[in-house]
Amino acid sequence: MSDKPKPMKFPPKAFQLDPDGENLIDSAHGKSYWRSYDQLANSPEFQTFLENEFPPGTMDLPNKLSRKKFLSLMGASIALAGLTACRRPVEKIIPYVNAPEEIIPGVSKNYASTMPFGTNALGIVVETHEGRPTKIEGNPLHSSSMGSANAFMQASILNLYDPDRSQAPSRKGYEVRWEDFTAFWNEQLTAFDAVAGEGLSLLSSAFASPTLFRLKTEFLSKFPKATWTVFDPVSDERIYQGIELASRQKLQPVHHFESAAIVLSLDSDFLFLDSNNVANSRRFSQARRIMSEKDSMNRLYAVESGFTVTGAMADHRLKVPSAQIMNFTIELAKELQNLGIPVEVDLPTSSLTVGRDHITWIKALAVDLATHKSKSIVLAGYRQPAEVHALVFAINDALRNNGKTITCYHPEHTANSSVTEYQKLVDDLGKGSVKTLVILGGNPAYTANENGEFLKGLNRVEHTIHFTDRENETAQNCEWHLPVSHFMESWGDAVSFDGTLSVIQPMIAPLFDSHSLTEIYSLLSTGELTPGFDLVQSTWREKLISGNFEQVWHHVLHDGVFSGSNYQAVRPALKNKNIFTKSEISEQNLPGLECVFIPSSSLWDGEFSNNSWLMENPDPVTKVAWDNVAVMSHSTAAKYHLKNKEIAKFTADGKSISCPVWILPGQADSTVTFSLGYGRTASGRIGNKVGVNAYKFKPLDSDIRQGVRVTGTGRFQIIACTQDHHGLDADKLAADAIHKRLPAILREASLDEYRLNPGFVKEVVEEPDLFSLWKDKSYDKGFQWGMSVDLNVCTGCNACSIACQSENNIPVVGKDQVERGREMAWIRLDRYFSGDLEDPEMVFQPIACQHCEMAPCEQVCPVTATVHTDEGLNAMVYNRCVGTRYCANNCPYKVRRYNFYNFTKDLPEIVKIAQNPDVTVRFRGVMEKCTFCVQRINQEKLRAKNNHQDLKDGDIVTACQQTCPTDAIVFGNINDPDSRISKLKKQNRDYALLGELNVRPRTTYMAKIRNQNSALNKNHFEKHIQ
Amino acid sequence: MPIIAGTAGIVATIVVVFGVNYFGSPKFTDTGYRPVQPVPYSHKLHAGDLGMDCRYCHTAVEIGAKATVPPTQTCMNCHVLCLPESEKLLPINQSWAEKKPMEWIRIHKIPDYAFFDHSAHIIRGVGCTTCHGRIDQMEVVMQVQPLSMGWCLDCHRNPDMFLRPLNEITKMDWIPPENQLLLAQQYKIDRNINPPTDCTACHR
Repeated sequence: MSDKPKPMKFPPKAFQLDPDGENLIDSAHGKSYWRSYDQLANSPEFQTFLENEFPPGTMDLPNKLSRKKFLSLMGASIALAGLTACRRPVEKIIPYVNAPEEIIPGVSKNYASTMPFGTNALGIVVETHEGRPTKIEGNPLHSSSMGSANAFMQASILNLYDPDRSQAPSRKGYEVRWEDFTAFWNEQLTAFDAVAGEGLSLLSSAFASPTLFRLKTEFLSKFPKATWTVFDPVSDERIYQGIELASRQKLQPVHHFESAAIVLSLDSDFLFLDSNNVANSRRFSQARRIMSEKDSMNRLYAVESGFTVTGAMADHRLKVPSAQIMNFTIELAKELQNLGIPVEVDLPTSSLTVGRDHITWIKALAVDLATHKSKSIVLAGYRQPAEVHALVFAINDALRNNGKTITCYHPEHTANSSVTEYQKLVDDLGKGSVKTLVILGGNPAYTANENGEFLKGLNRVEHTIHFTDRENETAQNCEWHLPVSHFMESWGDAVSFDGTLSVIQPMIAPLFDSHSLTEIYSLLSTGELTPGFDLVQSTWREKLISGNFEQVWHHVLHDGVFSGSNYQAVRPALKNKNIFTKSEISEQNLPGLECVFIPSSSLWDGEFSNNSWLMENPDPVTKVAWDNVAVMSHSTAAKYHLKNKEIAKFTADGKSISCPVWILPGQADSTVTFSLGYGRTASGRIGNKVGVNAYKFKPLDSDIRQGVRVTGTGRFQIIACTQDHHGLDADKLAADAIHKRLPAILREASLDEYRLNPGFVKEVVEEPDLFSLWKDKSYDKGFQWGMSVDLNVCTGCNACSIACQSENNIPVVGKDQVERGREMAWIRLDRYFSGDLEDPEMVFQPIACQHCEMAPCEQVCPVTATVHTDEGLNAMVYNRCVGTRYCANNCPYKVRRYNFYNFTKDLPEIVKIAQNPDVTVRFRGVMEKCTFCVQRINQEKLRAKNNHQDLKDGDIVTACQQTCPTDAIVFGNINDPDSRISKLKKQNRDYALLGELNVRPRTTYMAKIRNQNSALNKNHFEKHIQ
Repeated sequence: MPIIAGTAGIVATIVVVFGVNYFGSPKFTDTGYRPVQPVPYSHKLHAGDLGMDCRYCHTAVEIGAKATVPPTQTCMNCHVLCLPESEKLLPINQSWAEKKPMEWIRIHKIPDYAFFDHSAHIIRGVGCTTCHGRIDQMEVVMQVQPLSMGWCLDCHRNPDMFLRPLNEITKMDWIPPENQLLLAQQYKIDRNINPPTDCTACHR
């Protein structure tokens, strides 16, 4: 070779996107799914590659063949090979040996089951193809999901097909068999039998299951001196403690939002992350949805430190640091007492030092609550201390909500987490009094290893056994590691908050050599493996079903729920006046910041770290994907001279953590929110080394750390954010123009304004009478598909996005590509702020292909790969597409997604099983977009026609519609005047997004209405509309 | 010289275009595909001489998208008694004994981005031989129709000659009667036949 090529400059220009940062570095985290420039930057081998584009030796041919000889050899072999390569590839068709009667290849079968999520029991219906589950939906018959599924439920199917799950048991790093463990365990049992279990300790996650509870009781009765600790890093422990403190009973509350006119959330993200969120969203939306200006709507007040999805839905939101919410609640209780509401608790003196307008706020709120007795709900989040929950109980009692909007039950079959028990266990471990420790699920070495005490104690235990689905951080430090089956491979049962019993039935035999949690619990007490089916049946036979067992059992399996199995509601009363031990609550005004630790909206507490869909799912509020960030307000950042995406070091109590900063309008000043679940080291190919491990900074017994100091490091991190509109980039090009259009894109009004002017939606933008240049196609025959999205109930939870990804085989692209704006989600949630820069409101708008009748994309495709069907769908024909991308350029909504790379090339075989066989898997160079779930449309039309039935309204549900926890999306035939969609489109709140462009989208939106209290924020909207 | 070059260029283009369009079309590449199967199963014997109905083995054709190749169990229904020691049946017996499925070679296939539904066609009255030819005369199954999109659209746009009475779907030697066009009008009304020509009918 003649001259040496120049070495590449690093980092390449394309990477320097952030104008704020001076020194840009690639993050050491965010190892991307497809490429890793990090590797290029860091490893020495690649350094040589950079210096010398063709390292010595690679340019020479092997065996020092001369070029002439080489060509002649090649020519000969081509001649010999002939054109045999041009043969049609042989494809096999492989039937069964014994065909199961109920499986028809090509036709899906749905089975009901339950997904255990902590102590939640979420009823699901799973669609299976030829014996493998491909899609999860909510179970309409189950009260905990009511037909909907949140993002975690939708994505858990990928957890089943996780290539990084353990495939076999191991002992000290060597692969063993389950028989080896059973032999070992039987020896242990004999040894512990003699001492009634002393020295034997079990640590499990929380559960709510009749069979598991029975097995636990049996174990403890066999080994009375053994200890069984139940612990989860994220749990509702303090809620239960508070209720017990106030009512002297152990109760499980269930909130009936559909009957509440006023809801007050105190640091409770009940619509999204807190327990029972699917049912909460469903119920809440029933009271929120309005059909006309004459309807009534509920009102939501949110008091919180971080900006949550619930806070975005709130009509009135107050920023209060988490530690001061107790003070707020006390002030509220005092105000209620002033109004004559008998909150019979001795209230300490306290003072609240939040914004100046909190007094008006509390007064208006108290009046609202007082005038809606037994029609309101006050609830506090799980992070708040028990006293707050006790006081909230008292307030609800005084407002006569208990028994009406809040029902309480005596929970059964439940084992709840206890952090004091866990701390006791860690102490015991440290003392060396535990001989054998069995860990059932969970990951305490990652989530609860404060000061390294847990691991230190673990090393003192003779025999450590960890049952979990992968070799995670804890399993790596244990002697035995045995794989646990996914819930979709297991028999089990579950009980929901209101007592509804259901069975967990497997859809597929365990993919690997694993056993279900039910079988493991039984193994631990008996020393032998009994099939899970027998264990569950025996529980149900003995305790739960009376009468004709087989018939009822089959009914339960079919429906996915044991109807009529709810608990009886109890009438609790306030029994304790002395909730507060101190007579004065100090201001809690420690110098420094308060850090709040929340479970990640994508990864929860780390359980979903290796789930690529969830990892790429942007956080609804910050829109950050593939990373966690320290969220703080603008004034906090300004106070400590921190810039957006700057890596900052947080220190307190001798601990420190470095995390990139994210500035979010609306965050309470002096509160920084960290997401848990990141920074894993032993999660798998997706989760490892992504983000920052916030557990290292989190106190074990609290979700809040106070007195935190922060300093900037001057280094920046590249963060993949899918929406850069955080209201601060006023100097970016065209930001002002976009800003001006926002009131037209997101039409919003207060309820009063709406009532005064019901037609306000049409007045926001002037839509002149437009005509088309050519003869319009008439869409008056047959089915005409349309969709309506109700912005009033959309919470922005991203469940639709994950459901769409699951249904339509949408690939995951990795952090690098997301950062370049190439994320593939067909439906995205746009998030907009409005109002005051420091205290804005937040609105979400789900946008997928609008299926415009006059689609700009169809007009510019040079190969007619995108055409309009007679039913109004904008069709995408993948095989015709050559990848011009002109259509995406022309789309005003920017909803078209392009496959820049062959994203499925390296997809592990096991992950391919999760794909929907009814949808094409797209190759590189092909454009894709929302198809209104055309596969579902076709299937239903076919089914109706084959059975000589008419297609009814509601037969066809798109994936996003089916999963939406608030039923915000409605799809149907607009040609049918009686269909739900036609009625919705006739409403006066209905508008077309960018309708003034005359594209005539089939998807329309219904404007958001906020039910504002006239005593608050009087001038707010006047300010906003200008 | 430029004239010769020009003419040669035009001729070459025509030849190439014709060549690609002819030799590259499914009518050339796919029809006549007759792979050797692992077992010399003769449809001529079973469907032709013995008169077995197509649906005895291809069971899902009326209820699902795929017609399905029968499981080994279906073969053993008869062959546990009939000619169990036949040499030709050795792979079947092995499959049954070892519980390992048979691996047949697939013949009729459309690309992965197109989706075909058998039940829609069978229920509407399109017969088996219309697309698969005279299977009852084939010792080894051969693909006789191109199954290309153009070929499908030819029928979708004009299905009259291919609709049958519903009890004659599997009749191997059916030919349209003289009044087929008249009958087809009635079929189209009775069975609510309007074959889609939209892209999304098959491309999803």
